Amino acid sequence: MAERIRAEERLFSLVLALLTSEHGLTKNEILSTVQGYRERYEFGGDLTNLERQFERDKDDIRELGVPLETLEPPGEPGNNQNTRYRIPRVGYELPHDIAFTPEESALLKLAAMVWRDGAASAEARRAMLKLSGLGVDTAELALQYAPRLRVRDAAFEPLRSAIEKRRVVRFGYLKPGEDAATQRELAPLALTRFAELWHLYAEEPGTGRRKTFLLSRITTPVTITKTELPARDGDPAAESRAELEKLWAEQSALLEAQPSTDAESRLLRRPGTSRRDDGLLVVHFTDLSVLADQLCSYGPEVVVIAPEELKRAVRSRLDRVGGDHG
Amino acid sequence: MAEHPRLPHAQDKLAFLLSLVAYLRDRGRVSVAEAAAHFDVDAAQIREAVRLLVVTGVPGTTKAYQPDDLFDIAWDDFEQDDIIVLTNLVAIEDAPRLSAREASALIAGLQYLAALPEASDRAAIASLTDKLSRGASGAISAVSIEASTDDGALAIIRSAVEHGRRLAFWYRNAKGEGHERRVEPLRVDSVDNDWYLRGWDVEREAVRTYRLDRMSEVRVLDEAADTGRPAAAAVHRLVDDRLFNDAEASVVVTLEVVPAALPLLGEFVSDDAEIAAAGDRVRVETRVAHFHTLKRQVAALPGLVEVLSPPEAREAVRAWARDARAAYDA
Repeated sequence: MAERIRAEERLFSLVLALLTSEHGLTKNEILSTVQGYRERYEFGGDLTNLERQFERDKDDIRELGVPLETLEPPGEPGNNQNTRYRIPRVGYELPHDIAFTPEESALLKLAAMVWRDGAASAEARRAMLKLSGLGVDTAELALQYAPRLRVRDAAFEPLRSAIEKRRVVRFGYLKPGEDAATQRELAPLALTRFAELWHLYAEEPGTGRRKTFLLSRITTPVTITKTELPARDGDPAAESRAELEKLWAEQSALLEAQPSTDAESRLLRRPGTSRRDDGLLVVHFTDLSVLADQLCSYGPEVVVIAPEELKRAVRSRLDRVGGDHG
Repeated sequence: MAEHPRLPHAQDKLAFLLSLVAYLRDRGRVSVAEAAAHFDVDAAQIREAVRLLVVTGVPGTTKAYQPDDLFDIAWDDFEQDDIIVLTNLVAIEDAPRLSAREASALIAGLQYLAALPEASDRAAIASLTDKLSRGASGAISAVSIEASTDDGALAIIRSAVEHGRRLAFWYRNAKGEGHERRVEPLRVDSVDNDWYLRGWDVEREAVRTYRLDRMSEVRVLDEAADTGRPAAAAVHRLVDDRLFNDAEASVVVTLEVVPAALPLLGEFVSDDAEIAAAGDRVRVETRVAHFHTLKRQVAALPGLVEVLSPPEAREAVRAWARDARAAYDA
């Protein structure tokens, strides 16, 4: 038996073969001639394992963004013996007019560093590998940076996948001010990081209404259903941002912050914060309980003046913290 | 040959091979070292890929992988001088497109960095985003990120580095005490929306971390930043990935945490911390230099985190909550 060929060699050989074949290759041609398969191909033998391997490899290659096409022979739908596979060069290659300056390349490298964990990190790294194929040199930055964005919400990755695949999702959601989580079924449209929190912008399939959800309030694992949705027009990310900005502008609290404290500098840094003539800060927010948690961390450096609901929320949290440590 | 840990998956290796061929074709003649630096991999990985290239190709008209159907290199250059020259190319001309997810990860990263002085040209970010979108094989998934805010200190820090000068600023530490500091900037780190400067503290003669939002009156001094500053090569050793220097962190604190809240403790729980089950909660130990940051973190997670020991740490949290609560009784 021939030495087992490594997975990357088989995948690479498959891409090369499909790129050079103008009219595509049938599955049988691939399994019997392409390196990595042909060593295990037995004429007239059982090909089940080899076929399964080919199915997995197709998925892996497509996941990389390589447009592996399936051509059904005309007049013979469903006859997969004659189905042909190919990779069109135009869809495979980066467009020729895409080039990066050394400064842009440096910025891209930093952008890839932002994600340090999770699937996005591996994807950003792979994107950089591919762009390195363009042969651009990277400019040395005067100042070294180590940017890092952590995604703490377990719902993030499944939602990102669901948005890409345009699938309906299901999850339990604890609405602010309610005691129990309710089951939601939604068409996810965009993930937006705003005011240091991740939000999901999604549509209710029944009513078509679009709403914003906080990822930190999702209480169950996200289930991706088999229900697929048609592509939507417009820019849901921009729409979501506009919704959040509107909510942010509408809701505000009146706070008294001690001068020259962390509380003061952090509250002043929030977008839209203003200082009144009497020194009190007008601070905007999207979610009252999230703001209450943040204010608790500032301890005596900040006092809520209004609204009453926020005052109550902060008071009960402080009682809890004090009680737990009494 | 041992696999390089940084490209663990066959998919990553495939992306690497496809890109490497495009790069080698573009360069014509390139040393292994230069290619390794360009792809940010080690030299062994480049050599391994080249050895794989020369045994791969297309089945060809004979379906038998004849020599003309395989990649080939100038062997003498490769074996004697560690230089790669492709002499036969198969199938591949240009670099592969990005997948929609790959492009979206980079675009979201760019949005996060939009506040950097290097990215201050809005048009530059827009043009990069456009190029990445056009370079993707599918529609970009909708992930959008706010720029991490910055009050202008970054631009001053960068200017100090560019001109090789020291930096001075007024710094309010975690305890709330203010000091004037002279610092030779080394690197800027960020974690989510918090930005940190790591620098050589001239008076303390040590690398220290400063939070940008606690710095004020930041200015570039007319003093050269070279005395005492470690050589550039040593910067990486000095500035490791742990944000906080634990040389001063001598107090062990035991926390009891609702498991779901563990990630919310961020820097307090290191990746290698031991986590022990305690009923429906978990126990974890952390080392701190003082309780000023700890009490804030614990107060922000009411009902989710409890400090078990030492008693002084419990008292610090209790007093912090009590003093805050007192304002509402008046």
